[in-house]
Amino acid sequence: MGIKGTRDDPRRLVVDVGEYVLLFSKPFDVPVYVEHGIDMGIAGSDVVEERSCDLFIPLELPFGKCRLSVITPKHHIVPIEAMEGYRVGTKYPTLAKKFFSSRGVNVEIIKLNGSVELAPKAGITDVLVDIVDTGRTLAANDLVEIEKITDVSALLLVNRIAQKVKFDRINEIIHRIKQVIEG
Amino acid sequence: MTKDLFSQSARFAYVSKTLRRVFDLWNYSEIFLSTVESHDHSLRDGLKIVFDNQVYLVKPDITSQLLFNMKTSDKRRLFYISEVLRNSISGRWQAGVEFIGGDGIQTHVEVLSILLTVFDALGLDEVFVDIGSLRLWREAVKEIEEYSSVIFESLRRRNFGMIEELPIDHRKKEELWELFNFRGQTGPYKKLNQVVQALSDHRVFVDLGTVRFYPYYDDLVFEVYSPKLGRPIGGGGEYRVGPLQACGFALDLNALIQLVKPVFEDDRTELKGNPETLYKEARRLIMKGKGVKIDP
Repeated sequence: MGIKGTRDDPRRLVVDVGEYVLLFSKPFDVPVYVEHGIDMGIAGSDVVEERSCDLFIPLELPFGKCRLSVITPKHHIVPIEAMEGYRVGTKYPTLAKKFFSSRGVNVEIIKLNGSVELAPKAGITDVLVDIVDTGRTLAANDLVEIEKITDVSALLLVNRIAQKVKFDRINEIIHRIKQVIEG
Repeated sequence: MTKDLFSQSARFAYVSKTLRRVFDLWNYSEIFLSTVESHDHSLRDGLKIVFDNQVYLVKPDITSQLLFNMKTSDKRRLFYISEVLRNSISGRWQAGVEFIGGDGIQTHVEVLSILLTVFDALGLDEVFVDIGSLRLWREAVKEIEEYSSVIFESLRRRNFGMIEELPIDHRKKEELWELFNFRGQTGPYKKLNQVVQALSDHRVFVDLGTVRFYPYYDDLVFEVYSPKLGRPIGGGGEYRVGPLQACGFALDLNALIQLVKPVFEDDRTELKGNPETLYKEARRLIMKGKGVKIDP
């Protein structure tokens, strides 16, 4: 699209690029910023669904593709239906709870913020719900993927009010992004 | 802007007082609904609790609670100012009106007129109303019913790509695209045009991409917003109460107090002195409708 923002200092969180202002937030917070007034953002569908923010999602982007899955230690592989009462470690408590509820399985959700692969080794959880891409991190930690919950990809997010008051500008940006995607 | 309890309360009080005055001037009666309602699937939002082995909802959505409690279909003009809990312990204060039993577009024009007078009474500039129609969309997808859930999801997300991927006729996609992006003062739906024309206000737009998926909404829906605030201020729509047509809106007071600059007039009579005479005089003035300010 021709918008290039560089940070001379990685601690700098706001960068001006011509008529645009780029904000560098934690991925998990992008939907919240957009919901509360930032015009547009890019975040994974896992984060968007977990946060359940009130915003528009006009475009799925062709990167950041992975999946959210149920993961168990490789020495203790059980089906989902046998996980009644299990402790589930995850950065996605809402999605994890929804998944197990849909399968009629009651679990205890333990919210973690990162490096969730440690939790079964430390004995604080029985299974995990986390992002899987190549599976290498799982293998390195003696974990296996049992079942995919949902596919994940990057999404373009738009603030509901920005869509109205900057209608033409927002649509133009979406169109330009689509042109880049379609090559 | 300070945000302690007393400053916030002063702002809430200012807005609530103004809204009550406006609603009363329009001849609307205030309704007071129960804080706790027996759980029912028709009730939206609220906080679910269990008490004495029964399930209840604390502070549910007001419109759904009103519909739940209306035993007869009588013509009514009602307003409320109340807190609502959205499936959590964190509440939002709302003010709204419900006009039940109007004729034709009268219902919508009256309710939207009340909304516009609220903006004026609060001194709000740059507040707008976008009007859409659920019925228009239901008609548009009638021939392709099997794809209606995808089309409504695409509307909810404002993601036309989802419609583009559907195996439907190219002309149908163009028709849906026109509706998806329509924004102006007059559009293809006569009813919306009549409402906008009757209001004749530059703050009201037809935006056919505006939809509000509340189960009780029937046709006309609208959203209230300001470019000064990144979130909607409120919204409303048309619904039915038995055989009667109804229309209402709810405004988020937490959002309104961020936009309003209160004008605190102080024309009260200041009283000091001996408690025996001071309070007698205060009571006399108050019974005459005059405010007092007593120096402690």
